[in-house]
Formats: sequence, C-alpha cells, structure tokens
Amino acid sequence: MSLHRPDTLGGRAAIAGIGATEFSKDSGRSELKLAVEAVHAALDDAGLCPQDVDGLITFTMDTSPEITLAQAAGIGELGFFSRIHYGGGAACATVQQAAMAVATGVAEVVVCYRAFNERSVHRFGAGLDARSPSAEGTAMGWTMPFGLLTPASWVALAAQRYLHTYGLTPDAFGPVAVADRRHAATNPAAYFYGRPITLAEHRASRWIVEPLRLLDCCQETDGGQALVVTSVERARDLRRPPAVVAAAAQGAGRAQEAMTSFYRDGLTGLPEMGVVARQLWRNSGLGPADIDTAVLYDHFTPFVLMQLEEFGFCGPGEAADFAADGGLELGGRLPVNTHGGQLGEAYLHGMNGIAEAVRQVRGSSVNQLRDVRHVLVTAGTGVPTSGLLLSGDR
Amino acid sequence: MTDATARPGQQTEPDYRAYEGRPAATGGRSPDAVNAPMIRHWCEAMGDTDPAHRGPGAVAPPAMLQVWTMAGLGGPNAGDGSRSGAYDELLTRLDESGCRAVVATDCEQRYLRPLRIGERVLFDAVIESVSPEKRTALGTGHFVTTRTDLRAYDEARGEKPEEATPVATHRFRILKYRPAARQEQAGSGRKPPGRRPRPVVNRDNEGFWAGVAEGELRFQRCTHCGTARFPWLPGCNVCGSPDWTAEAASGGGTVYSSVVVHHPLAAAFDRPYAVALVELDEGVRIVSNVVGLPPGEVRIGLPVRLSFERCDDELTLPLFRPAGPDRLPELRVAVTRTLIVAGAVATRDYQDVHHDAEAARAKGSPDIFMNILTSIGLVGRYVGDWAGTGAGIGGIALRLGVPAYPGDELRFNGVATTDDSGQLTVSVIGSSDRGNHVTATVAVTLPAADPRTAAVTEPGRGTVA
Repeated sequence: MSLHRPDTLGGRAAIAGIGATEFSKDSGRSELKLAVEAVHAALDDAGLCPQDVDGLITFTMDTSPEITLAQAAGIGELGFFSRIHYGGGAACATVQQAAMAVATGVAEVVVCYRAFNERSVHRFGAGLDARSPSAEGTAMGWTMPFGLLTPASWVALAAQRYLHTYGLTPDAFGPVAVADRRHAATNPAAYFYGRPITLAEHRASRWIVEPLRLLDCCQETDGGQALVVTSVERARDLRRPPAVVAAAAQGAGRAQEAMTSFYRDGLTGLPEMGVVARQLWRNSGLGPADIDTAVLYDHFTPFVLMQLEEFGFCGPGEAADFAADGGLELGGRLPVNTHGGQLGEAYLHGMNGIAEAVRQVRGSSVNQLRDVRHVLVTAGTGVPTSGLLLSGDR
Repeated sequence: MTDATARPGQQTEPDYRAYEGRPAATGGRSPDAVNAPMIRHWCEAMGDTDPAHRGPGAVAPPAMLQVWTMAGLGGPNAGDGSRSGAYDELLTRLDESGCRAVVATDCEQRYLRPLRIGERVLFDAVIESVSPEKRTALGTGHFVTTRTDLRAYDEARGEKPEEATPVATHRFRILKYRPAARQEQAGSGRKPPGRRPRPVVNRDNEGFWAGVAEGELRFQRCTHCGTARFPWLPGCNVCGSPDWTAEAASGGGTVYSSVVVHHPLAAAFDRPYAVALVELDEGVRIVSNVVGLPPGEVRIGLPVRLSFERCDDELTLPLFRPAGPDRLPELRVAVTRTLIVAGAVATRDYQDVHHDAEAARAKGSPDIFMNILTSIGLVGRYVGDWAGTGAGIGGIALRLGVPAYPGDELRFNGVATTDDSGQLTVSVIGSSDRGNHVTATVAVTLPAADPRTAAVTEPGRGTVA
C-alpha cells in the first residue's frame, strides 16, 4: 500500500466468518479461553475447521499469543503471524494484514482475534499511575504528573477545543450516544439491549471529565471477537456470502502520538483518520455518497463527530448538525453503528464493529438496512489507526 | 451523597421541614454598639490595615458583620433573649436524634451600607430551610439554613430604634450531624497525601527535568531550521536534524484547552481538578495544571503565568496561575494557635473547639481549628487589601472545605472578573496542603477613577461560581 499511489489489495480478500463470545462484565474465564471460543465460533461460521488456519493476527495489547491460541484451539503449523500496535487502532489493520497475506499467497486462512477481561480484570478507565522510561512511556509521562491519566481525560482535552472552535456545547455529543443506544436496544447481543436513552438523559448524566459525561463514554467489557479472512475465491465456496475487502488502510499523522497528540495543529480533527480516509476513497474509487452505513469507532462520542468530518460526510464543524435529529439512526442520513457501537453493544476494541459491518453486507444484522453495498468501518481514534471498506461480492 | 429515605429498623425520620419559615431570632439587639475597640481587635487578628476602619468617621469592616450579633461567652440564651423557641426546639430535636455535632459550612452576606461607630444593630432571623438527611464526609445529618436581616440606628446621635435602616442580610448554613466513625489518624490528623504520578525521565528528556529542578521550563529549538518543539525528542520533526538547543520559556502562556477531571480522582487529587493544555508565548504547548482559581473557571483563552509549585517532598512541577490584571497577588497566612484563638475571641466565638485542644479532641477533631468568622474575615481582608480603601464590598459568599489547624499555611489566591452588567466579582480560594479551606466570591465596587475598573476583563464568559 502507499500513501501516494492506489494499491492493488481491493477485491482480493474477504471476511468469510465472524464469531464472538457473549459480551459481559465478568466472563468468569481466562482471556485465552475467550479468544479460543471466539476463534472457534468464527471458523464455525465460515464452515472451516482449526486445521484450515495457517495465519493468526491479534493486537500487541492482547495477552493471548498466536502460538498459545493455536495450541489451545487445535491449530497446527502457522506460516504467518503478526500483532498490531496502538490499542483499538489495530482493529481494521488486523484484517488489512490478513488480506495482504492471502492476496500475496503468504497464507490461505488467517484468523484475526481480540479477547480480554477488560471490565473484570484490567479496566482501561481506571487510569495510569506509572510508565517505564521507554520512548512510549516517556511520551505518556508528559501528562501523567498533572493528572491526565485516563482515556476519557485524553479525549476530553481535544473535545473541549472542538466545542470551543465551533461554538458548541457538550450537548452536541448527545445524538451520537442516543443513536448507539437506540440501535443497541434492538440488538439481543448488546449489553444495553432494551435500554435506549434520550437526549435529556445524556444531558443529565454525571461528568466524567468535562466536557464528557458518563453517557459519552463507551462500556468496559469482557469478551472475545474473531474474524476469518481468506481469498474471495475461497470465500465463495464457504458457508456465508463473502464480505469483500474493497479497501483497507492504516494511518498515522505528522507528529502523531498515541492518545496525547496535543502538540500539533488545532485539535479539532483526527489527522490520522484523514490519512486513512484519503487512502480508502482513492483505493476503492468510492466516496461518502456510496456508503450505505458506517461503523465509526466510538470509545467516546466526540471522535465520532470528528470522523464524520474527516471522511467528508460533512464539512469541518458540521458534524453536530449532521448527527442531530436522528441523522445517525436507522433511516437517517448515515446510519452509524447499527449494532449499538461500543457505547451500546460492547467495547471489544473495535473488532465487534467489523463483525457488524460483515452482517450488514451479508444482510443478517438485527438492524438490517436495505440494499447494502458498501460499509465503512474504522478503528481506534486518537491513536494511529486503520479503516476498511467492505462490499458485497458482485 | 444523599439518602433521604428511612431505612428498615429505623424510626421514620421526623419532618423537620415544619420548622421552615419559623423565626430563629426575633427582636435581636447587638450587645454593644459598633465601637472602635472591637473593630481594632478584629483588624489586629485578621491583619486588616485599611485606614477606613480607624479614627474619626471610621466604618466597621464589612466582613465583621456577624460579630455584632454574636451572643458571646454566656451563650445564646444568656443574651438579649431574642433566640426563638422554634430554633431552640429544632436544635434540641436534632441533638436528641443523635445529631449533636455542629459545623458551619457556608454563608452569604450582602452589605447594603457600611456600619458606623456608634450604631446599634437590630436583627431578626428566620429558619429558611432544613435539609433532608444527608450523608457527608463528616457524618450524617441535616443542613439548617437561617437568614438574618440586620438594621441599625445611630444610638450615639440619639436616633430611636424605629429609625433603624437596613444594613445587611446574612444567610448562614450549619450542619448538625452524627459524626462518622472516625479512623484514628496519625499526628495532626492530616490525611495521608496521595502522590502525583512521577515524571517519566529518560536520556531524551532529562534536560527538561533538570531545568525544572533549576526553576526553568525548557523547550527545545532546532539549530538547523529554528523550529521550537515540545515534548522533548532527540530530533526535529520538521527537518530531521539531530541538533538542538534548550531554551527557557519566558513563563507567559494562554490556555489552549482544558478539562475538569471528576472521575476517577487520582490519589493526589481529592476533588475535581482542572488539567490544561497551555500554549506558551514561544508557541509550544505543554499539559499542566492551572491553580489558584476554581477548576470550572480554567477556560480557553485564559492568560496564565508559569509558577513552580511544590507538590510533595520529592516533586516540584511547572504549573500555571492566572496572569494579567485580573489576578490578585497571593497572600500567605501562617495558621498559628494564636491566630485561631485571637480570631475566635475577636469574633466573639467561644465554641471550645476554637481554643481548647482537649475539648476539640474529645469532639473528634485532631486539634483546635479556625472558626468560620475568622475565615470570612481573612477573605474580606484579602480582597479589601487588593481593592483599596476607597472600594466597596457588596457581599461575600463563602463555603468552607477542609479545616485549618495550627501549623497549616493558608494561601489565598483570587481572580477578578466583570460580568455583562459591569459587576466586579473576585473569586477567592484559600488553600493549605490539606486542600481548599475556603472558596468564596466577593462582590466589589472600585472607585470610578480606578484604572482596574477598565483593566479588569473577563477571562472567560460565564458566572462566577
């Protein structure tokens, strides 16, 4: 792939299987066990078995190494294995790298997985208290003594500047939360199944880090999600219709940091997502008008607004208007996060969102839209990130 | 946290709201007319040197208001007999329910005109509200709010009580509570201070922290292309050059963005706190804290000035304080046993917890502590010093936080803002190492000719908390 010329990855690989554990607040089992269950479920969905797998990809943050996952899942020799960095920014890149492997013949069946007990064991929201003096630890160390310690606080610092620049109030974030929770309310797999919220409830929820309220923040979840990637040709012979990888991209901006990119430009956008957007549009030949539904990474609501702008669904500063009045809901301008997102369904570091995009392409979502041809999926925001365009097989 | 519901096994709580609207004091009369000796004692205790409170034509310090109506050593029922049966009955019922402890939490005084020497103060008070049962850090109990209306007439010049004219209103809130089971605390009862996370220091940024140790905030400048940069890195993002020099920042800056952290509160912070992204005058940004004003008032665009602040025995950090004409100079007051006792006596407050350490300990306090009337006095003096002798103080609203004990140092900081109607308000925080002792807003009128009347501009829109 290249920042400067279209790549040749589009149309050569597909997601052929998806599988997840239940999404809970206390799984009662190990992260490795969750990963194995998710991988088996995804292989089952594809109609494949562990012996078919020759590649594995996960996140550097995952605690289940590829070799241990293979050992416990009945997978044999591996010809390709990789892990991707930067937290939730890795999500779509796992599929990108799997697609590159199958497109080049490096591997035939690659499973991407992510599993954790993020609620019951290691809560990201609890915050940091120390970091080692590595380059990465030192980058985070510039903010820690001053009490900027949690993901919500890092996002809030950019969100405040966004509100200030465009003359908005924290109420601007409400429609994102309402859309997510409305979609989750009709999704039995969602933690917040049957529990929609209103704008008034959003406004009344307590401050976590001003300008972010409780209902601007995603859940913390125990669970696992896996995705099976293979060639489009092979996927056509499997149990489910292929969700073709029409384009895939990673992106990091100039002077990029992981969650603390406070020292560059105006803090009103996500330049790294702009890098992803430009590549996805160019590589696929598609544009915002071609997208039927999007899964936009939503650990915190403000970054959903910024993503709408980075992808050109609206202009800079216009996303709050775009999202108001149900713009992100079923039947709206751009239905977003039809599974309920990470606020409503589960926080699985973005991997559950890729599964929902696959369901929309297959026509099997609980909130299925009509005639879906192209779905945009994004990965973690505020970090070096990635994105996918998934399309039906024509 | 509140919990107004009765729990099983407990009697339904009495409905104290029946007392709302009933008098707390009727026909009260100050034991003494406004007089020079009491004013002088008060000014000495507070450190108030305003000449307006001395000599012929002297006026009483506004913040001294409540002193004139204090009952004194004999207690409320040995005084002028104004205390109402309803108020006594309410306090007795609260005592009987187990809410025997009392602490003043906040007050709001509005001054209508100055009190002159020779004037006699008359007052009536009403029970404005009694809260449902509330759980607080001190214990569970009820907030009782009274409002006092004060009038005065010039007895020395032969005026009659009927000629008294309004001088002030005064709202006062106390908490009557059952003390929470108290954990035995070492020494002075200081809570073990949480420590801020330590800086992360390596070979690439050690020059920055060496600068902090020497009282400088240093950023890097590329010697090849001249670009200033922060955070510290071993090369330039613009041109890739490895060559750089360190420069000390001038210390001026502007808040570029800010947040208020409510949850979770890190160990070093016991209440919501502001974190700001400050853009230095040299063009680079740094994440830090703006201290010296309430967190909600740290707003984008606020001019700030670098200030090295000691956070604990091992850590000094480059923090920022509001800059410009709207920031008051800091006042540091050593809280000695003498100050606490002198303040209590000068304000005619003979509660034993303000002068008798043994009695204070018997009531669960680690030592004697400053009374609220002294805290009001110090705030009044602090703002008065800044406003100058020709200025008027229109009112003080004040809330108490952590107590002030002997050995503490109170640091008063204030920021002046002018709202759309032209009202000048000074927000004051008086804090010690324990946290904020007092948070107050003071309404000020400067003489029309005072250049600060024009120079003071709002640092950020919105009302002052």
